[in-house]
Amino acid sequence: MMVLLQSLISGILIGGVYALIGIGMTIIFGVMRVINFAHGDILMVGMYLTYTLFSSLGIDPFVSIVITIPLMFLFGAFLQKVFINRMLGAHPQNQILLTIGLGLIMSNTMMLIFTSDYKIISTSYSSESFNVAGISISSPLAISFLITAAITLLLYWFLLKTNTGQAIRATAQDREAAQLMGINVRWMSILAFGIGSALAGTAGALISPTYYIFPQIGGIFTLKAFIITVLGGMGSIIGATLGGIIIGVAESVSAVYISSGWKDVVVFVLFLLVLLFKPAGLMGKSRM
Amino acid sequence: MATILEIKHVSKFFGGLAANSDVSFSLEEGMIMGMIGPNGAGKTTLFNCITGYYPPSRGEVIFKAQKISGLEPDRICRLGMVRTWQKVRPLAKLSVIDNVMVGALCRTNSLKTARELAMEQLKVVRMENKPDFPAGGLPIGEQKKLEVARALATQPQLLLLDEVMGGLNPAESDEIIQLILEIKKGGGITQMVIEHDMKAIMRISDRIVVINSGEKLAEGTPQEIVNNPEVVRAYLGDFHA
Amino acid sequence: MKSTLALIRTTAGTSPVATALGLAVLAGLFLFPSFVKSPYTLHIMILFFLSTIQGEAWNIIGGYTGQYSIGHVAYFGAGAYTTMILMQYKQIPPWYGMLAGIGVALVVSLIIGSICFRLQGPYFVLASIAVAEIMRLSAINLKDITNGAEGILITEIPVFKIGNTVVTDFLSKVPFYYVGLVITLVTILVTWMVQNSKLGYYFQAIREDQDAAHSLGISLPLYKNIALALSAVFTSLSGSFYAIYIGYIDPSTVLNLDISVQIVLVCIIGGIGTIWGPVIGAMVLVPLSEALRSDLIAGMIFKTGLTSEGSAIGTFLKENLAHAHALIYGILVVVVILFMPDGVLGWVKKLTVQKGRG
Repeated sequence: MMVLLQSLISGILIGGVYALIGIGMTIIFGVMRVINFAHGDILMVGMYLTYTLFSSLGIDPFVSIVITIPLMFLFGAFLQKVFINRMLGAHPQNQILLTIGLGLIMSNTMMLIFTSDYKIISTSYSSESFNVAGISISSPLAISFLITAAITLLLYWFLLKTNTGQAIRATAQDREAAQLMGINVRWMSILAFGIGSALAGTAGALISPTYYIFPQIGGIFTLKAFIITVLGGMGSIIGATLGGIIIGVAESVSAVYISSGWKDVVVFVLFLLVLLFKPAGLMGKSRM
Repeated sequence: MATILEIKHVSKFFGGLAANSDVSFSLEEGMIMGMIGPNGAGKTTLFNCITGYYPPSRGEVIFKAQKISGLEPDRICRLGMVRTWQKVRPLAKLSVIDNVMVGALCRTNSLKTARELAMEQLKVVRMENKPDFPAGGLPIGEQKKLEVARALATQPQLLLLDEVMGGLNPAESDEIIQLILEIKKGGGITQMVIEHDMKAIMRISDRIVVINSGEKLAEGTPQEIVNNPEVVRAYLGDFHA
Repeated sequence: MKSTLALIRTTAGTSPVATALGLAVLAGLFLFPSFVKSPYTLHIMILFFLSTIQGEAWNIIGGYTGQYSIGHVAYFGAGAYTTMILMQYKQIPPWYGMLAGIGVALVVSLIIGSICFRLQGPYFVLASIAVAEIMRLSAINLKDITNGAEGILITEIPVFKIGNTVVTDFLSKVPFYYVGLVITLVTILVTWMVQNSKLGYYFQAIREDQDAAHSLGISLPLYKNIALALSAVFTSLSGSFYAIYIGYIDPSTVLNLDISVQIVLVCIIGGIGTIWGPVIGAMVLVPLSEALRSDLIAGMIFKTGLTSEGSAIGTFLKENLAHAHALIYGILVVVVILFMPDGVLGWVKKLTVQKGRG
């Protein structure tokens, strides 16, 4: 029972970061109908940014997000403006290939700069943990979860209460209608890709104290970001939040009860089962 | 005359909204049934329910004495009912003849036979002079005719035309009207036509069904429809204003 | 041979010059090993065959049917692992292993197809990657069967006999050259047969407009599944062939997602949905990646005098260009998609049309 509780809690903690990744992807998909296959690679860029700030300037990874967030936003906006924007009306499959190509360029550029060696960020608290009622909780995971929760709340507030946020949601709901209403859809797309990338980059920063950093790490996160997006019903932000938590829990429970080598397999099988039985996502109504 | 298509109390809901509610009517073999109604009245939704793109939420569709509601569009096509699209859907990168051959291959496995069948249909729509032209590059009028030829190539007994004259100039519309009448004269093919052009629909239809807000408002001969005060109030009056 | 002739005649047009040229190329390919003895050149040719087979195979589902699979490494890996496991642990010769590999790849394709082809949207792309990843992780974890991350190494291939006559002992690269050539020709032939049949028309109709295809009597799940199964068969064959040729496989070489991207790249560079597109793609990509790997390009840059071998940039180039092929792939994908989405073939066609007009 204790073990189960333990793995549930660490699952929820890591799930918070997954939620951030998933929300980023869902916003991009919602506004532009583009599936961003470079999402995990953008996260990887965020990790290396954090690593550089830490190793050369000694900035703590959790503090460095104040630099990472704006930089990753600009990076995403740049990608959208220069590359993705040209392909908005194109065949969705060519959009997918374009983002795959961009991801390859990112991961291999990082490999040329940093080599493919594993990097680690070891802070004083990297392996620290504290006890709550007999359950041990990793400090970096707990901190990252709190930051995630704060960012997610801020994002909800932005999307629900501000004019720009509402314009983004309107564009996500119906691009053409939004255009007719006088919303600058191009600008919304740049914003969406910027926000999506900032969220992925932040997620990268937040997990960097607990993960190995290497150029090819992005692929697995891209795949998980999709799974979260599909699980939550493509385009739903609340769905993506829940999807992230579900994936986190599924992973950590299966790591304990099956083995850590199989935890990703469990997630992928879960995904296939969702496609088989509830393709509109757990939040959406099943439609065939 | 035997009944070829029977629509029995068909309703279609999207979320809580009814796009069609309790629509019933039937088609006799060989006739042309016109369907009119304002934009958003649910005509295309009804077409989609009949041809298998959505299963109706309630009610059933009977084609040649067989219940077809719930079947997939490809099954329904092979049973002998085919539709065209309001917004044309050419197989853009394929040539004109290849487009029609895809339709013909519904009845044969041989490319040679399919090519012959396709050529016949191209003659029907008078496009036999440019079989190798890429379909995506055709002007809209010819894309509409190509849709009809492709549908005819599946050798249907029932042809559903969704605003086949939409976006055409008067000369092109006239050509389509002639085409529809020729198909009727050829026999063997019943037609149901959604149309906005009132003059055209009055001219070609044997009977007309009026759809308004997802419901059947009226049904009758063109003369009866013109003289139906409810139709005049709901639709025609509006139209002439 | 008769059908190969027909293939050449039809695809190259009926002009006698083209037919003669096709026959000459074919004869040249068959006589090639008699004249060229360099094992390295033969190796490059074998890689070219492998790439062509994969490109043609992907083309059936991706190019003709329009269903992009970014998880084709699953079938490649299925062929490679099935053949190697059977040979290593059950002493089953690879030519039977290839058939078994095809069987496994078919099962995988049917699983993916039956899950995804009821749905429209991006699900197929995602699920094909997920299945490929499941297979890679399984290959790492199922150590008893696959030898895990260490992989499987074979030291000798059984002698291939028909009756009591020894056909080949697989000691040089020549037998591999011929096996590769034959599989390549068969793959091209099958693609040609598909293109010139009801299947080809239906596949392309699905690619152009699914709803229209559906309304014309085409069962979408059925024909997409057929296309995927056909594609899986040849991709699996290329996997088996690769495994026997190289003699070593592990999860990171035969189940790596990069291979999926590489397969797609062969197709889009050449021109998707055409018979010769993958051939041209392989002709571009194989020499390019070999040149990068063997420092040929760094050497050429030094020769042009842009930078010298001793300089900082020179050392950097020399050290890194060999690892940069994935970066180049990435750049190629982006450039091709943005500027020549119809590939080299489409680009050439456009040029000739413009020339004809001008």
